Amino acid sequence: MLLSVRDLRVSYGNIQAVHGVSFEVEEGEIVTLIGANGAGKSTILNTIARLHPADSGEVLYQGKNIASLEAHDVVKLGLALVPEGRRIFGNLTVYENLRLAGFQLDNSKLSERIKRVYGYFPRLEERRSQLGDTLSGGEQQMLAVGRALVTGGNLMLLDEPSMGLAPILVQQIFAILREINEAGTTILLVEQNAHMALKLANRGYVLETGNITLSGSSDELAHSEEVQKAYLGR
Amino acid sequence: MDFFAQQFFNALQLGSLYALIALGYTMVYGVLLLINFAHGDIFMVGAFLGVFGSITLDLPFVPTLILAMILTGLMGVGIERVAYKPLRQASRLSAVITALGVGLLLENGMLALTGADPRSYPDNIKNLNPPLLGDQIDILGASISAETIVIIVLALLLFGGLYFIVQRTKWGMAMRAISYDKFAVPLMGVSQDQIISMTFLLGTGLAAAGGILWGVAYPILNPYMGMRIGWKAFIAAVVGGIGDIRGAAVGGLMLGFIEIFVPAYGKDIGVSSTWRDPIAFGLLLIILVARPTGLFGVARRQKV
Ligand SMILES: Nc1ncnc2c1ncn2[C@@H]1O[C@H](COP(=O)(O)OP(=O)(O)O)[C@@H](O)[C@H]1O
Ligand SMILES: [Mg+2]
Repeated sequence: MLLSVRDLRVSYGNIQAVHGVSFEVEEGEIVTLIGANGAGKSTILNTIARLHPADSGEVLYQGKNIASLEAHDVVKLGLALVPEGRRIFGNLTVYENLRLAGFQLDNSKLSERIKRVYGYFPRLEERRSQLGDTLSGGEQQMLAVGRALVTGGNLMLLDEPSMGLAPILVQQIFAILREINEAGTTILLVEQNAHMALKLANRGYVLETGNITLSGSSDELAHSEEVQKAYLGR
Repeated sequence: MDFFAQQFFNALQLGSLYALIALGYTMVYGVLLLINFAHGDIFMVGAFLGVFGSITLDLPFVPTLILAMILTGLMGVGIERVAYKPLRQASRLSAVITALGVGLLLENGMLALTGADPRSYPDNIKNLNPPLLGDQIDILGASISAETIVIIVLALLLFGGLYFIVQRTKWGMAMRAISYDKFAVPLMGVSQDQIISMTFLLGTGLAAAGGILWGVAYPILNPYMGMRIGWKAFIAAVVGGIGDIRGAAVGGLMLGFIEIFVPAYGKDIGVSSTWRDPIAFGLLLIILVARPTGLFGVARRQKV
């Protein structure tokens, strides 16, 4: 098991946002966590990435509890979070954003990984000297994924990458995510856009107000009544 | 012409010194949104470490400068670790009060250590005699002392070095990234603490260089010097646009020019030199009213 989350509880102040959530991601999978706005998806990902402390529960990555690590150390283990809202450094160029993601790398590894990113996203290479602020939403999302690939993509956590993007762009980016997965990166994808997410993922979990209420293969979930009603608008 | 040229170089010298100090305010503000009110006193400590290097250790100019920059830089890192880091999540006000407290501590500590008598550097440091330059050179009919040239050139080199670090190295990219959005910085595998320490190291190291060069240019040092000069450099940083190192350089130079040229030419039109500071700060205030974010500043994008 590459990632297992066990009975995770997380609060903001004295308001609990995640009430004992457990799930697992196996090496090589694409797993999705779908849920409505406010369900606790970002909280879970940010907690795994150590940006936010857990109240209790365990996060095991490669079998090790990472609760004592700092966020920047987790990244060094190949666990990369592509955060909600992309969080591109708008005052840095595209290249500088990627360069910064390779802070810990030696030069040859860095240029190799940046080359790989430009291979997936030729648009980024065209815009390498442009400031992050001047990119379109889709390009920013490509850059956010690119940065995660540069830090090291063993397990990539993606927080609503489809947010605010036209469906055609989402399709393009998800197609690249599939390629990235086939090249060996395990993916945990968080989405409100259940339709797209279930098409990409092998299996998934449904999160409602801090609890997992349903899990199964993507097919099962896509055909389940609850998901159809709540997320697929049928 | 010679009078003007003379004043021009005086202004360039004073402005370069303000700029060196202003850089530290602006860098720390850029990464932490903290106004390091101890920075002026850190500059003072740098100047006194020059006394330590040149008199106590009997070192020549360059080793004195390097020693003071390194020691002051490490002190800056230490101050951040001990005094500011525990307050990173606390209110802005408590951080500001702590910074003022650190400044007072440095001031009174130095007073206790060295006494109230003003100090100055030994002759070999006050009268620099750089190779190929001699001790005076004639430019545009004015005779400029070697110290002035050395100060201006060194300040330029230090600024150039810093600009290179900020624009071209991964450390500089990380500093700029933190100032834009510190949430995402650890996701790049970059330790915020490391970048903050680096920022303090550079900023306070430059203040020490400013302190040594100040002592070369205006040879009277006392433990209170940091307060007045520090405030002025802070204002220069704000006028330039706090958070932007080009702004600190331009703001510092502007302040130097105003402070030199107002008394130099003011008396011709009946303005006595006691009006130097009020006029200087009045002009700076006008700039701030016209451009509240300073010359190079942009309104900071609020992040949630
Ligand atoms: N910084 C915060 N402070 C307080 N409450 C928060 C904060 N962030 C999220 N929450 C609350 O936690 C719950 C889960 O939020 P979040 O994880 O962002 O959900 P999602 O990503 O699924 O939209 C929501 O009720 C939200 O209001
Ligand atoms: Mg969210």
